[in-house]
Parts: sequence; structure tokens; C-alpha cells
Amino acid sequence: MDMLDQNLLQNPGYVAQRIAACELEIQKGMIGQHEIIRQVMIAMLTGGNVLLEGMPGLGKTRLVSTIAKVFELSFKRIQFTPDLMPSDVTGTNIIIKNERGSAFSFERGPIFANLVLADEINRATPKTQSALLEAMQEHTVTVGNESHALAEPFFVLATQNPIENEGTYLLPEAQLDRFMFKILVRFPSKKELRGIVELTEGVQPPPLQRQFDGAGLLAARALVGQIPVADAVMDYLLEIVMATHAPNPYIREGASPRAAQAMIRAARAKAFLEGRFNVSFQDVKETAYPVLRHRIIPSFDAISEGVSEDAIIQGILEDRKV
Amino acid sequence: MEQRAFVKMIHAFQRRMNIASVLQKSIAALCIGAAAGILFQAAALVVPFYYASLYSGLVLALSLLTALVLAYVKRISPEQAALAMDSFGFDERIITAYECLGQESVLVRLQREDAMNQLAEHQDRIRLALLPSWKKPVLLLGFLAVMSGLALLPSAVKERARELHEVRKEAREQMKELDELASSIDKLAQEEISQEQKNTLQEMLGSLEASRTEFEQADSAKLLSAATNKLEYKYAMMGSELEEFAKRLRDGVAASPMTAESMQVLAERMQELGGMQLAKGTGAQTGSNQQGQSGSQNGQGSSGSQAGQNGNGSQNGQNGSGSQTGQSGNQMSDHSKGSGRGVGSDSIPHDYVSVPNDIADSGNLTGNVANHEASEYFRAQNGLGWEGEHTTYESVLGSYEQKAYEGIAAGQYPSNMEEVIKEYFSSFNQ
Repeated sequence: MDMLDQNLLQNPGYVAQRIAACELEIQKGMIGQHEIIRQVMIAMLTGGNVLLEGMPGLGKTRLVSTIAKVFELSFKRIQFTPDLMPSDVTGTNIIIKNERGSAFSFERGPIFANLVLADEINRATPKTQSALLEAMQEHTVTVGNESHALAEPFFVLATQNPIENEGTYLLPEAQLDRFMFKILVRFPSKKELRGIVELTEGVQPPPLQRQFDGAGLLAARALVGQIPVADAVMDYLLEIVMATHAPNPYIREGASPRAAQAMIRAARAKAFLEGRFNVSFQDVKETAYPVLRHRIIPSFDAISEGVSEDAIIQGILEDRKV
Repeated sequence: MEQRAFVKMIHAFQRRMNIASVLQKSIAALCIGAAAGILFQAAALVVPFYYASLYSGLVLALSLLTALVLAYVKRISPEQAALAMDSFGFDERIITAYECLGQESVLVRLQREDAMNQLAEHQDRIRLALLPSWKKPVLLLGFLAVMSGLALLPSAVKERARELHEVRKEAREQMKELDELASSIDKLAQEEISQEQKNTLQEMLGSLEASRTEFEQADSAKLLSAATNKLEYKYAMMGSELEEFAKRLRDGVAASPMTAESMQVLAERMQELGGMQLAKGTGAQTGSNQQGQSGSQNGQGSSGSQAGQNGNGSQNGQNGSGSQTGQSGNQMSDHSKGSGRGVGSDSIPHDYVSVPNDIADSGNLTGNVANHEASEYFRAQNGLGWEGEHTTYESVLGSYEQKAYEGIAAGQYPSNMEEVIKEYFSSFNQ
């Protein structure tokens, strides 16, 4: 980490201010969806990847491009289709001919960007989906015998459509677990919709200003990881994760240990975004939904009774008063 | 805010929480204890339950003690106090700062400053009531009032419980004494004595066991009195028999002197018990009577055993010694009983029955026995020891016989003696 990063690490207050400014700037380019923006910011501050589930046209791509502008990060969008090949994502070795003859050269795929939007990820085959696994977890891409490191910060934001399941390939649990958050994008309110229409169809809005950069984001991540957590808060968090493994008629399989790691990181990041340097019970509660909803597998009873993952999580939280 | 002040504030809140915990737990526990006390007192109105008030008090004390122990065991730690302070809108800042007091990283320092600033700014948010809501103390006072009211409420069942308690207490004492004596007799039966003596001792044990059963089954003052009277009689009889055995053993060579001595001690103990228990008799057993005896004893320097106070008012008297003068009344062969009216040193008339060690005709007693007339007696040898009057047995036989039959009907005498008593009185009618 360079000198600037060291300076930033000594000034957590300044970093927190810049991150807060970034959030405000993103909100200028996105009407409504404040909760979505906050959760995506949390994921970025912790280096986690996000799975967005919502209907088309709700501003998912705009959100990612706005973030890229505000942080001055590179951004690539990959439209996942059934015929998309892994090499279309990761890149491939191609033969290059020059004066000295021909040789293989690695042509980087769209995954080589700071922000990657994997649009409609569930439309690609599992083989292609799994091509993202290494990139999401290890931040490297291996083609042939050679591994290529991805640029930091690296952030994948995948989307999927909750309807039109025909011809799609549901993400396997192992891959879902790689996503830190699953965020549900809901339809905007009438007031928000008016704002969206006015923003996009009216007078051109002022261009977004860069508020921070990738190095600042990395410094913020390092600071977030140092935020102290009280024992009682940690116990509460672990109890919530353990509760997904307790006998529950609506849960077939509970959350993995990765869920606990994601929750504590997310709770720290949320506290940081709110200008606090400690984690509260409320931070844990609020981050439990996006962290756990794609990690618990509902039972047949839950599906047949129409009990959603969020309702199950709500039940767990209500059973544990603090 | 200084770090020391921050810690001090947490510790002060911890103390306050502990006090509140003690008060709240105590009131809750006392409510439970008082409710249990009400149940005890209510039960005492339905069934005889002498210890209802004691148990009520005990359960109250126990509940309070439990609350105090519980409050101590679950006493509030500084971390818990900090968490409780955080619940007033500090978003776990205080507990985090408290737990990280020893650390000095940039973020920890910032967090601590943030926590202290927030605490200094919003200190007025933190409020903790020492006492629970007014409902619980009022409930406790109500319970205590009801419990006290029930405890003071008079009832026949409570009287019955009190009587039963007294009876059982007395019976326990009697049984304890009885067991000790039975044990002594049992030991004597193991000594080198004749088979006849052993058989007699075994009979005594059987007789004492029967008395024990009577005491165990006694559930009223009347039955207890009957059982006591029987036992007194048995003690007196057994005492005499044992004394006789002891005398024989001392005269013989087979038994050890220790055995004779033990038997003599036991005999004296039994005779003493017989006399003592008779002295406890009820009814016309009065102080004047005691005074009369006292005068008698002082005068006589009596060597005989004082026994045979039948304390039901109808059969009063004493076991006089052979040195008594002017013994009157109906006298039996070996345990002669005299009857008449005695006058103590303070000249207060009293009834008595005496069972002298020697009968009147033995020559140790002086006085005109034959003419059956009222007369005064005195012991010329050692000065005036006893004086009184006597009358003809015919004049008292009727009432004595009636009392005896009443005693039999009331179960006051050992069952194996009932026939003896009947034969005794019927012999006068022949």
C-alpha cells in the first residue's frame, strides 16, 4: 500500500467523510433505492460481491455505472446468455503474429475491471457461471496454466430476474455462498418514479463528481476491518447464525460459517458508513437479511406455505431480543 | 470526559443496578413467599397444622434469602452495566469502549472518544428506577396483610392443632425417657442374672413397648393422660421389682456387684419417675398438698420412696416410709395404701394416699390404728413428722371404688391391672 494509503489509515474520520460523500453523490445519480445504495456501499467497503434480484429496468446497471464514476473505477458489463462461454468472461489465449513469428498472448476478458456487472447471471450455463467463482473468491483468473490477478478493488455485481425462470440455470448453493449480499430490488414508489423520469427524460443532470478513488476505497476497507466489536454483539451475531441450524420447520439447511464472516464485515461497514467506530446490535440485525436470505435453504413447508426467507430471518431475530 | 470518569460512571451505574436487582428480586421473592404463607395459613383453617405460622415465617425468610443469594450470584458486572447504559440510545458505544480500554489503536481511540462524548452529551438519558412499579410492593403488602389476618383468625381447627402439638410433644418426651429405660433394662437382661429375673425383665420390656405404642397413638390430652398414668404405674411397679432384684443380687454371689448397682440405680430412677410423674397429676393435686408432704418429709427424714401420687384429684397420697406415724386407711400387703386427710406444716388440709414401706402393724408405726377413729399421729423418735386423720374404709370405699372403675373405663390403668383392681374392690364386698 502506498504512502497515501498510510495517511488515510491514520485518518479514519476523513475516510469516513469521503465515503459518506460518495454515497451522497451516488444518490444524486439514483433516485430512491437508498437502502440498495447503502447495501451496495457496504459490500464495496468489505470487498464482497452482490447478487441483485429484481425486475428489469430498476436501475441496476445505472447504479453500478454511477458507483464507477464516483469512485473513478473501471466498469464492465457482461450480459449472460445461454451461449456465453467461460472464455467470453475470463479472456483467452490467442495467437499473435509479429516480426519474430507467432506466439500465444492472453487477451483479457471483461472480468478484468474494478466493477463488473454480470447481468442476468442465471441465463448462462453453470460452466460459465462457475467461471466467475475463482474471480469472485480469489480475485484471480486462471487460463491454461497461468493465473492472472485482477485489479483491486474488484467487485462483482450480478443480477437475476425473479420471474421468467424458463431456460435459466439456478445458481448452485456453492456459488450463491460467494455472494456476500443478496439484495432485493423493489419497484420504486410513485414519487421515486417521478424523480427517475424527470432525471432521465428531462433536463440533463449535472455530471457526477469523483469523490474518492480506488486507493481510498481500499484504505476504507482496511479501516473497516479494524472496527472493534463488543463481545455481546459478537455473541448476538453468532447466535443468529447458529439459530439457522436449530430445529426449524421452515429451514432445510442453515447458513454457512461464511455467513458469520460476511455479517460481521457488513455490520462493521454499516457502522463506518454511519460515522461510528463500533458495531451495534442494530447493525447486526439490519445486515442479517441480505447476508442470510440466499444462504438458508427453505424447507418444503416454507415453500408450500409461502414463507419467504426474509420471514424466516425475521422470526429468528424476534426470538432473540437484546 | 476523562477515561477515569468514564469508568467511574459505569461502576456507579453497576452499583445502582445491583441495588435495584436486590430490591426487585427481594420483592418478587417475598410475594411468592407470602403467597405460600397464605396457603399454609388457609390450610391451617381446614386441617390441624400447628406450625402454619412458623412455616409461613420460614418460607418468607427462605424466599428473601433466595432472592439475596440469587442477586449475589447474578450480580451485575461492569460489562452488563455498560450494555444496559447502551440501551439508552448509545448504540453499544459504551460497552465497546469499556472492553477496549487497554487498547490504543487509532480506531479504538476514536471510538472511545466518540463514546465519551456521546455519554457526556446525553448523560441525562440514563435513568434507572431502583424499585419496580408500584404494583409489586402493593401486591406484597396485600399478601402480607392477608397472611397475618389468617394467622390471627381463631378457629377450632387451630385449637385442635395446638392440643395435638402439646400431646405429641409430651408423648415424644415420654417415649424418649421410656426408650432410655428400656435400653437400660435390655442391658440388664444381658447380665448374669437368673432366668426368672430375665423373664421378668423381658416382660417389663414388653410392657414398656406397649406403653410406647400407646404414646404413639395418643392424639388427645385424654389419651395421653391415660397412657401417662399407666406408665407411671408401671414405673412404680417396675421400680419396686427392680429394687427387689437388686437386693437379691447384692445378697447373692452369682451376679456382679456392678449389675446389682446398675439395677438399683435403674430402680431408683423408675421410682423417681413414677413419683415425679404422679406429682404432675392434675385436678385436686394442689400446692397445699405438696406443702403437707414437705412437712411430713422434713419431720420424718423419710427413707422410703415417695411414690403414688395419683393426680386426678380422687386419689391423692404418698408413699410414706415406715417411720410414718398414724398411717390410716386401706392398706395392702406389700404396697399398702392409706387414705385420709392430711394436714401439712401450714395446717392446710389436703387429701393423700400413702403407700408406706412398712405396714401399720409392723411396729414401726405408732398410733391407734385399730379403733378406726380420727386421731392425730406424731413420730416420737424424730419429732413431729406428719399428722392427719383417718377414717374407716367403709366411708371412702364407695367413692374410691367408683373412681377406680371410672379410671378403668377411661383407660387410666394398665390393662393387665384392671382385673386386679376389680378383684381388690370386690373382695371388700364379700
